Amino acid sequence: MAIIKWKRDDLYNPWSELDRLQDEINDLFDLDRLPSTSGLFDRPVSPAIDIVENADAFEVLCELPGIDLKDINVSITSNVLTIKGVKKVEKEEKKEKYYRKESRSGSFQRTLSLPTAVDAEKIAAELKNGILTITLPKREEEKPKQITVNLKEGK
Amino acid sequence: MAERKEITTRVKRTVQAYCDVYEEEGNIVLRLEMPGVSKENLDIKIEANELTIHGGRKSMDEKTNYLMKEIYDGDFMQKYVLDETIDRNKIHAALEKGVLTLKLGIKDSEKPRKIQVVEK
Repeated sequence: MAIIKWKRDDLYNPWSELDRLQDEINDLFDLDRLPSTSGLFDRPVSPAIDIVENADAFEVLCELPGIDLKDINVSITSNVLTIKGVKKVEKEEKKEKYYRKESRSGSFQRTLSLPTAVDAEKIAAELKNGILTITLPKREEEKPKQITVNLKEGK
Repeated sequence: MAERKEITTRVKRTVQAYCDVYEEEGNIVLRLEMPGVSKENLDIKIEANELTIHGGRKSMDEKTNYLMKEIYDGDFMQKYVLDETIDRNKIHAALEKGVLTLKLGIKDSEKPRKIQVVEK
C-alpha cells in the first residue's frame, strides 16, 4: 500500500483563518433579529415577517408573541397588505422588581406590497404559537396556466 | 471557502429568545418570547445548577420560494445558572401564545420572615 501524503488545498493558504474569522463576525451581525427593511410608518417594535410564494397562493408569516387576536388588525387593499396591532404591557403592579427587560411593547404596523393581486374573498389568517399565518390565494388570472394545443396531422 | 460554507449551513443555528426577568409573589419569573415554538418542541431541563431552555422551530426549507425572510432561521436556546435560593422542586412552566413563562420558586428559608417575640 502506497503512502499518500495528506494534502488540503487551503492548508497553505495563510488567509484561510482570517476568512473564517470574518465569516464568524458576519454571523454575529446576523443575530440581530430586528427587521432591516422598514417603511415610513413602521415602529421600532416591527415584527419580523416572512413571505412565501407558492404556485397558487402567498403565505405571510409574522412573529407576534404574546399578542391577543383582538389586538391584531389585518387589512388588504388590492395587493397591499397591512398588519397593525398593539402589544400591551402586562400588569405592572404585581411585579416587585425587574431584573432584566428585553421585550418591547407598543403599537406596530407593517405594510407589504405583494407582487400580484390576490383574491380578497378567500384570505385566511391563523394565530398559533405566536406566529400569525395569513394565506392569500392568487386570483385566477394570475395563476400560471398551461394551455394544451391540439395538434393535428396534416393531410 | 465554498466547501467550508457548506459545513456551516448544515449546523442548525440557535438564538437567544428575548427574556424578561422579574420577581413576583415569591417567584423569580422568566418570560421568554418564543414565537413558533410548540409545547412538543420545547425542552426545559436542569442539570446541576444549569437551566437549559431549548425551543425547536421549523427550519427553513431550501425549496421554499421566499420573497422576504426576516424571521430568524434557527432554534431558541439559552442557559441560566441557578443559585442556591431557587427551590428545584418548585419550578413551573407555561407556554401561551408563543410566550414561555417560567416560574422559579424561591426557597422558603430565603424569604424574609418575621421573628416572633415571646413574652416571659
